[in-house]
Formats: sequence, C-alpha cells, structure tokens
Amino acid sequence: MKRRWAGVAAVALGATAFGYLVSREDWWAVALHWLFPSLPVVLFSSATLAELVIQHLQIVLTSSAFTIALGIPLGIWVTRESGRDFRELVSATADLAQTFPPIAVLALVLPALGFGPAPAIVALSLYGLFPVVSGTVAGIDAVPRAVLEAARGMGMGRWEILRRVELPLAARVIMGGVRTSVIINIGTATVAAAAGAGGLGSPIISGINTQNGALLLEGAAAAAMLAVLADAALDRAEELLTPSSQ
Amino acid sequence: MIKLENVTKRYGDKLVVDGLSLEVAEGEVCVLIGPSGCGKTTTLRMINRLVEPTSGRITVGDRDVRSAAPEELRRGLGYAIQSVGLFPHLTVAANIMTVPRLLGWERSRMRARVDELLTLVGLAPDAYATKYPRHLSGGEAQRVGVARALAADPPVLLMDEPFGAVDPLNRERLQGEFARIQRDLRKTVVFVTHDVDEAIRLADRIAVMKDGRLRQYDTPERLLDHPADKFVHDFMGADRALKRLGRVRVDTVMNTAVPRIDRSGGGAALTSPASCAVERFAYVVDAAGVMEGWSDCREPESSESPGSGVTLIDWREATVRPDDSLKEALSHMLELGFRRIAVTDDSGHLLGDVSLAEVEAALTGGDSHVATSPAGGLDW
Amino acid sequence: MVREPDNIDPGVSHLADRVGATGALIVLAGCALLPLYALRANRIVPGIAQPIAAGGPAAWVLVLLAMVALAAALRARGPSRARLELACAAGMIASLSWALAYAAANITPDPASPARVSIGAGAWLAIAGAAAVWFAATRSPMSRACRVGAAALVAVSWLAAGWWGGLARLSILREYSSQSDAFWNEVGTHLTLVGAALGLAIVIGVPLGILASRVLRVRRVTLSAVGLIQTIPSLALLGLLVLPLAALGLPGIGPLPAIIALTLYALLPIVRNTYLGLAQVDASAIDAGLGMGMSRSQLLTRVEAPLALPLVIEGVRAAAVMTIGIAAVVAFIGVGTLGVLIITGLGYQADDLILLGAVPMVLMAVVADALLRALGRFVTSPGIREEAR
Repeated sequence: MKRRWAGVAAVALGATAFGYLVSREDWWAVALHWLFPSLPVVLFSSATLAELVIQHLQIVLTSSAFTIALGIPLGIWVTRESGRDFRELVSATADLAQTFPPIAVLALVLPALGFGPAPAIVALSLYGLFPVVSGTVAGIDAVPRAVLEAARGMGMGRWEILRRVELPLAARVIMGGVRTSVIINIGTATVAAAAGAGGLGSPIISGINTQNGALLLEGAAAAAMLAVLADAALDRAEELLTPSSQ
Repeated sequence: MIKLENVTKRYGDKLVVDGLSLEVAEGEVCVLIGPSGCGKTTTLRMINRLVEPTSGRITVGDRDVRSAAPEELRRGLGYAIQSVGLFPHLTVAANIMTVPRLLGWERSRMRARVDELLTLVGLAPDAYATKYPRHLSGGEAQRVGVARALAADPPVLLMDEPFGAVDPLNRERLQGEFARIQRDLRKTVVFVTHDVDEAIRLADRIAVMKDGRLRQYDTPERLLDHPADKFVHDFMGADRALKRLGRVRVDTVMNTAVPRIDRSGGGAALTSPASCAVERFAYVVDAAGVMEGWSDCREPESSESPGSGVTLIDWREATVRPDDSLKEALSHMLELGFRRIAVTDDSGHLLGDVSLAEVEAALTGGDSHVATSPAGGLDW
Repeated sequence: MVREPDNIDPGVSHLADRVGATGALIVLAGCALLPLYALRANRIVPGIAQPIAAGGPAAWVLVLLAMVALAAALRARGPSRARLELACAAGMIASLSWALAYAAANITPDPASPARVSIGAGAWLAIAGAAAVWFAATRSPMSRACRVGAAALVAVSWLAAGWWGGLARLSILREYSSQSDAFWNEVGTHLTLVGAALGLAIVIGVPLGILASRVLRVRRVTLSAVGLIQTIPSLALLGLLVLPLAALGLPGIGPLPAIIALTLYALLPIVRNTYLGLAQVDASAIDAGLGMGMSRSQLLTRVEAPLALPLVIEGVRAAAVMTIGIAAVVAFIGVGTLGVLIITGLGYQADDLILLGAVPMVLMAVVADALLRALGRFVTSPGIREEAR
C-alpha cells in the first residue's frame, strides 16, 4: 500500500517541480545563454514557455478526453451482445489504423479542417481512439470466464457485471491503452505545431528554421520532460487501478 | 557403473548434499528417494554436471565426469525430467532425434530409430512421429520424453520424477511400461522420485536421503524389513507389510497343483456325492481350460437350487494375472470377499491360485499351502 | 419472417448483416451528404463542392450498388449474400474511380488550367463504407477465386481509369506529375532511411535483448533506457540531439541525427520483444536441452531462437511501422523523406501536396505491416502457432 502512494507522491512532486521550472523563464534564459553564448535570442518570443506548455497540454488533454469518452464505450459496446457483430470490424480497423503514421493522420485531416489547434485536436482524438479501443477490448476479453460465470451464477445482472466485475478487472489494460494513446498524442501534438496548433513544437520548428539551437533546446527539453512526466503519472495510474489482490 | 565418492554440494552456507557416497552397478535401477529438499534432485543433476559438486568425485563407467566437456558427457547419458521439456516447435520425431542429431547420425538411421523407439514406448509411429507436442496428452508426452532419453542408446539413464506430472492411472501404466522396457534393455538407471510405492515397484536398490545425507541404501525388501533408523522406518510408511507384498509376484508363490474339473459333466454332477467324494473343492474349467468358477461341496446345498454349490464367475473380474503382485491379489481378495483367488493368464486359462496362506508366508517367510475354498474357513 | 434453415454453412448468419448494412449506409451518406469531388481554382484555394452528377454514369452506378448492397445485407441469406456483398463492394470502389475520372476530365477539360478537381470527403467516406461492406462479406467462407477476382476488379478499374479515364487529372495526381522526380527521390530516401534504421536497430537490439534475458542488471537498465526514449516526442529527440552532436563536431541536422533518432526509437520494440521472446521459452525445454548435451550456443540456435523468433519478428513489425512514421518527422531537419511534401504542403496550404506525402506513407506502413505479419507466420513453427479462434 505504502509503495503505491509513495509513487503517486513522487509524481505529484515531479509535476509541481516541472510546473515551477516552466514558469521560471529566467532560469531557462540563463542556462541557454550559457550553452549558446554566441546566440542573441535564446527564448521563443511569440509565447512564454509556460504558455506553450499550457497550449500543448490543452491539445493533449482535450483530445484525450474525447478519446476516452468515445473509445471506452465503443470498446465496451463491441464486447456486448448488441455490438458483437461489429467487433471484428472495429478490431480490424483499430489494428489497421494503428499502422498509420500519426503524422499522416494529422496531415490527412488538415485539408478538410484547416489550420489551428481545433483540427489538431480532431486528428489526435481520432488517432488516439484506436489504442484505447484495442485496450478496452483486450482488457475485457482478459477477464477470466470463470469469474464471469461465478458472477452470473450469483445473480448479477449484465450492467452489474460490467460495472463491478469486468471494468475493475480490465481497468489496468484499459489504462495501458490510454497511456499509449496519450504518449503518442504528446508526440504528435509536438508536430502539430507546424499546422498552427501551437504548443512546444513551435520553438523547435522555429529553432530549426532560424538555425537557433537554443530555441530548439528550449522546446525539446520541455517537451521531453513533459512526456516523461506524463508517462510516469500514467504508469502510477495503471498501478493504482490494479486491485491490490492482483 | 556410476560411483559417487563423498560428494558434497553447498550453496552459500546451505548444505544441500553432504558427503554422499554410493555406487550403482551396471544394469541396476537405483532410486533416490526422500522428502522435499533432501538433495535427491541435486544429486542426480551432479551426475550430468548440470550442477557442479562443491567437493567429491563422480565417475561414470570409470571416467571422472569432469574429464570431458559437460556437453560430451551429457550426450552419453539419457535425461528425462518431470516436466518433460519437449521442444514445442519440433515434431515428436525431431524431438526424439535431438541427441542423435548432435552426434551426427545419418538420416536413415535416425528415422529407423524413431520408429523403433515409438513402438518401444507404446506409441504408433505412423500416428505420432509427425505430431507436435501441443497435441499430446500428459501420458503421451512422458512417453516421448522417455523415448527421447533413450534415442542415442545411452548406457545410463537419469530420470527426475519422469512420471510425476501424470494422473494416477497413467502413472501406473507408465511404471509398468518402464519396468517392461528395463527388463528388455537393462540400462543403468538413476531415478528420482518422492513416491515410495513407485520406488518399491521399480527399484533394484533404493537410496533413502534426508537433509543431503544418505540414510540407507538397500534393496526394497531389506529397507522394508530392516530399516536402518526411525526415519527410514517411518518414511517407508505404516503399511510396510503391504508394500512388501508389492514386491512379490503372484507366479512365484502360487499353487499350481489346484484341483480342477471339466464342466462337461454338467452342473449337478459336480456336486453329486460321487464327485464330492473325490474332491471337496475344485475349480471348474471349460474344455479349453478357461476358468468358469468353482465347486465347493462343503457349501450348504439349498433345496431350491440343487447344484448351488457351483459358483460361476467371470474370470476377467475375479482372478489375477501371474505378473500381478501379491499386494494386488490381496486387494482383490478383500474386495471380493474371498480367501483365495485364482490365477489365470490373459485369456482366462487357469494357472493356479493364491490364498491368504501364501500372503502370510510371504510376510513371514513361512510356508503353508492349505487348500481352502474361497468362501470357506481358513484351515490352519 | 420465416427463417430458412441454412444447411450449407453454419458460419453464415441467418440474421441481417449489420456490418454490411452499416457500410452500405455509410456509402450512401457519403454520396448524399458530402461532396464526392471538389473544384479548386488553383493549388491553394479550398475546393468548391460539386454535385454528384458531375461524375457521370459511374457515380449513379456507385449509388445503385450501395443500395443493392444494403438490400443484400438486410434481406439475402446464405453464401450468396456474401458473394453479392463482395461484388457490390468491389463494384462501388471501381465505379468510384470512374466517377472521379469522369469528373476530373469533364469539369476541368483543359490540362493547362490551374483549376483542378480533388477527391471530396464524400469519396473518402464512400471508400470507407465500401471497405466495411467488403470486410463483412469476407467474414463468410469464400473461394479464393472470389476474393482475388474482386481485388483484381478494383485494381484493373483504377488502372484503367487512370490510363484512359482521366483520373490523372485528379488534383493529387496532377501534383504528383508535376513533382514526380522529387516524389520518387523522397520515397527512396524514406525507404532507405527506414531500412537503415531497422537494420541498425536489429543488429544492436537483438544482441542487447539476448543479453537482457540473461543478465538481470542489463535487462533493467536497457529496458528502462529504451522505454524512456520511446516516450520522448520524436521532434523533441531530434532537438535534443543537436547539442551533443555539435559538441562532438558533428552536424546537428541532416541524415546523421535522423538515423540516430530513428534507430533509437526502433530499439524498444526490438529489444523488448527479443527479451520477451526468450523469456517465454519453456524453462523445462531449456533444462532438457542442456541436460541432453546441447552447448549454450546450440541451445540458442536450435531451441531458443526458433521459439523466440515469432515475437522478435513482431517487434520488428512494430518498429517498422513506427519508423515509417517518424521518418516523416525528420523532414523537419532537412532530410528529404515524404515528410518534406507534407511540410511544404503545410507551408503553401496546398492540400494535395500534403496528401501526396501522407497517402504513400500510409500505404507503405500498411504494406510493411502485412509483409512482416506474413513473415512472422512463415517462421512460426506449426507446433507453436496460436490456435485459430
């Protein structure tokens, strides 16, 4: 028990530290000046680092929210009687879709929806859907049949079985799918900056275009830190969702 | 053939095998037995150097096991383990041919050997050679494991609970098969088990181990009759007498000169005063000698059914075979409520019988042949 | 409603084919609600929707087939339903190609004009719907001839539409024709980069995975390290490589950091799957192998490798698909892969240029995935193949 909450505490601490670090642009300025003494500009001028991080998070969190809201119910539906006909199609589509490079999905959505953060959110929601659906289906499938039979034998209704047996037991695998989805989204959101979505990709791209290593590093370091932190947080979440008996 | 001289194995400060010395003669089955953690499996694995002894010397056929590379040593020893360890990606035939392939046999020789071995372990070669391990039942997999161990015809077999992972009925069968194969091949076998009955059934000599030390190394009979200490005594089990009987084959103690009457005389004739004057009790056989029942003149004759002194039985259910053990015969007797039981061959031909007297004699070493009907009293 | 007993094939449902019906409805929705084609005045201006009739007779055939497919899905029974659905699906995709060609040829007859017809959202929806119908049809057992025939029909139709029907006038293909040399260069670079990165990742990753399966400390360190790299966004990793490379006097942009980044990303699936593949080898098989006299290397090649190989190939498959995607991102640092088309397209807001970069990439990924899956099946011994569901 203690170990789990220690992990959560560590992540919370890390998040707070990151949040603070990002807000102190002056520290970044000093560090980047020291690394790149010859460069006149070391910070992204169009937005503060904190703003960039928030933009990035907005894109990721919004799309993840859509993904979870759509993906988990869809995954549950295809494992129910009513949706069983569609299960193969949904699984095959999810498998196929996950072979699509995320950049390509972003690129395909853009002609239809234009530029800016909103199309990026749509693209990310769409692409992130598939790992979540796959994870949900896999998690529910992995619930041992004996447990389901026992639940039915005890008189639990279908809804109850879903709520009290299947979902709790599948939670970890579902979380794994969400985690995959979010990490990919963070990465794709970085590239989405090229499509006008904002976020931490902007200083990176700007840095490449102006041959400014400091801007590059500013965006890259912040993005990497954000990604690692998010992964650790979701890893903790995965752990927490595992019933202590497992 | 195999000699262990003061072999010790230590893991850190844990002494797993302590100064073990024993010798296994050629063609002998030596069973290592003892409670969990007694070091029997470690000992076995030191013979083929899967575990290296901390000190001591092991020789196989007068060669120190350390004198050659371990791979070379192992290719000359057959190795069969409880979980079998068949290679799932290879067919049964390819599995069996593992060591011959390592030794470089030609294909035709290997193919012939596969057929030979599968037949030996009781599996039809045509059906089984191309199967994959996942399609085999537990008993079948064990048999393939034994075939694989025998493939290169090693003089020595090392077996670690090879029949342990199988249900009791199959284990019974596999033990019988092993005994039969061993009678034919006469390999030198070191066999680890925790099942005392299995050890008694299969071993020429049993090495009882505890805490890494050898407590007694003797034939099963001597272990049962003269245990070296309380541990061995208790380990062999409270039913030592019955176990003892398990070592005695029915055909070694059965009475062969049993009275028999041919059925052709008809039922009533069998218990007519005339025939009763000749023999009070006799087995009834048909013209071919197949047992049908017995006739006991001392049984009270009931007025309702004259000739009721004749009891007809189905030989398949109420007799034993010559290679069954006295223990099985006794068990049958108790089950059927008899005091003696007929011995027939596999086709039902009457060969003789055994009675409680033979059982007692086997236990005490005495000798009393008293002809008594199964339903009658025991005449002492 | 009377249900006729299906005495031919127990696998074919008696009930309506909901998947097929849904697919057909999607096609109809695509045709009715969204444009199949759009007219743009030039490269960068958004398109104006065109009526479905602009596609000529083929467009109506498309609609008709969709309705037939719907009817078949709802009413027909038995194996004939599957064949009918497949025929409709193939027919729909085929007629779409002709509709697009017709529209492109007729709306913009002058090849010199900058105006162009592009594939509308409705067309994409129609393809998706037709694919769903196809999928539903192929769930039932069907002769190989049927499947191959359907695929052939589609292929021939699109090729014919391209050659004679004017499909080449479609905006994306016009984009292609004006860029064809550059396009193939980029495809070549893309494939070369992916191949090189995968090769390096295998050469480094497989031994690393083998080591990880033997030595606990190596396993922990390696898996953590490659796992960490995996979470870092690709663009960020490229940015992070600039400094250390510059410190070593090496170029921070260009093919070198690209290869390094691609290889690093490809490492995780390969190392992890090699480790997992070896870890799941039955321990008793290893004990038996050693006990019978195999040397460590013989054990590896004769027992462990064949048993671990399916998982390793699976890792290579995942790595390949991922690498194809990331190879587009390295276009940002000046490496000429298909990503260049996407970036340039983003810059000009030229949709078809973006598509010209994205669609081949998707096709590459799908083909690589299918090929490596097939390879995986090929190297899996029948003794360890998963039972078919």
